Amino acid sequence: MNRRIWSLAVITFKEGIRDRTLYGIGLFALMIMGLSLVVTGFFLRELHKVTVDINISAITFGGLLMIFSLSVNLMSKDLDKRTVYSVLSKPFSRTQYLIGKFLGLVLLSLAAVCMLTLISTLTIWAVKSQYPNYFKEFVWLSVFQAVFAEFLMFMVLNAVVIFFSTVTTSSFLTLLFTISTYIVGQTVEEVVRFIQSQAQEIQLTTAVKAVIEMTQYIVPNLSVYDLKIRAAHGLSISSSYLLSITAYSLIYSAVLILFASIIFSRRELT
Amino acid sequence: MTVNRLLPIGLVATLLLYGAAWQHLQHKRHVFLQENYMDYTLPSRFTGPAAMEFKGMVSDFLFLKVITFLGEKIGKQEKFNDPHFRYLEESVNTITDLDPYFWDAYLFADMIFTWDLKEYEAANRLLLKAKQYRTNDYRVPYYLGFNYFFFLKDNINGSKYLMEASKLPGSPYYLASLAARLSAYALEHKIGIIFLKEMIRDTENEQIKSEFMLRIKTLEIMDLLEQKVREYEKIYQKPPSSLVELVTAGLIEKIPDDPYGGQFILFENGRVYTTSKMLRQK
Repeated sequence: MNRRIWSLAVITFKEGIRDRTLYGIGLFALMIMGLSLVVTGFFLRELHKVTVDINISAITFGGLLMIFSLSVNLMSKDLDKRTVYSVLSKPFSRTQYLIGKFLGLVLLSLAAVCMLTLISTLTIWAVKSQYPNYFKEFVWLSVFQAVFAEFLMFMVLNAVVIFFSTVTTSSFLTLLFTISTYIVGQTVEEVVRFIQSQAQEIQLTTAVKAVIEMTQYIVPNLSVYDLKIRAAHGLSISSSYLLSITAYSLIYSAVLILFASIIFSRRELT
Repeated sequence: MTVNRLLPIGLVATLLLYGAAWQHLQHKRHVFLQENYMDYTLPSRFTGPAAMEFKGMVSDFLFLKVITFLGEKIGKQEKFNDPHFRYLEESVNTITDLDPYFWDAYLFADMIFTWDLKEYEAANRLLLKAKQYRTNDYRVPYYLGFNYFFFLKDNINGSKYLMEASKLPGSPYYLASLAARLSAYALEHKIGIIFLKEMIRDTENEQIKSEFMLRIKTLEIMDLLEQKVREYEKIYQKPPSSLVELVTAGLIEKIPDDPYGGQFILFENGRVYTTSKMLRQK
């Protein structure tokens, strides 16, 4: 059973690697990283901050583009082109199919993050050797911790893609819902904190408050994965925090995949 | 076939037209930007959520915009006024809300606020914000101390912050003794020289470095003139009424030129300052 899931994951991964979109995204991320070599010199002292900001943002941007284009496509292609029949005619349960697909997408994200991290490491190293005096506050470990947190976010977003592709019937809707989840996930914490801090000044109806309150439990809080600013200033991140966000991602993804399995097993594939 | 032959000619003609239109637009745009153009930055209440997880990079971009906009004005030796102050304060508030550890933004604003705009309170407000986040950075209380000493003539707060700075890691060895010395007497121009030399050590940008060098040179001249005034007082038992008297007494050969293009003047309290207020004269 595990071997079946694994082989499906590998097939999904290979299918993704062959996609030309990946090269475009890689090239785009490379361009942003290259930009850091040029732009950094415009700043005054904190060149390490600017370099790290640009490089981790490029990794994030590349990873997000990959999920919004490649992951969504890989999931919907099976359903749109009806290739899912040939897969499901094999001794596969629909849950196994979804887990396999999810693992494949996560593998793809992991490979992309590793590749982009390797290149950005070289970029940061290049800028660092150019301006060694301005990298005194720089810490490699914080950078890798921030990249790891981004990867955890990609994992959650891949689960979101799986979930929405089982709910909706078109890849466009999956894309739209995933992007919306990303935006809400990134801002929900800030909105809740803003409302809490301005409770007296802002008059909100109980219904609106209840909706916001509910949203923060339903939508993944993606701001927890944003450690870029800390990494840029070489500030350490505690291992207990990293452990906590890892557990959060794993559990949230598991819940989404379970929901997706329940919906998918009841779906009429016509 | 004829249409196909005409295509390259059409392309060349369109490209020429495009070139002309681009030139024209550039000219119009330049005029447009010159006419009371003021850049703006949206407040962090909007920028924060809109930047999502790219707050660090957005803060870099906004800061680059600020230094380019104001840098152009510095390059053209334009004087800063109220709209510039508001723009800088709003921008730096947004930038440091997005990334509260961003020292370059704090320091750049502090420099412009104090040296160019004389907005010392605003500068200190910003440094106090930096102090909340950069708790282990000696430069924050260091610059606060400098502002109190040099600009606000508040020796008590000045030495308090310098002492605080001297206890933080990486602080220059002389800070503690400097704090003690400065609280004892007010050799203001010397303070400026020492502080500016420290700032040069910490600056990469050549334009800012040369700006500091010019200030140091001017402060050194004023410091020397004040020493000569004290010498005069010792010899003649009365203060000189103007700097010309120092020349007459043979203490200096001539009144030195102000590198900023102004003239050095002597105040009744024995202090020497310059009419240029250390801003380049046109």
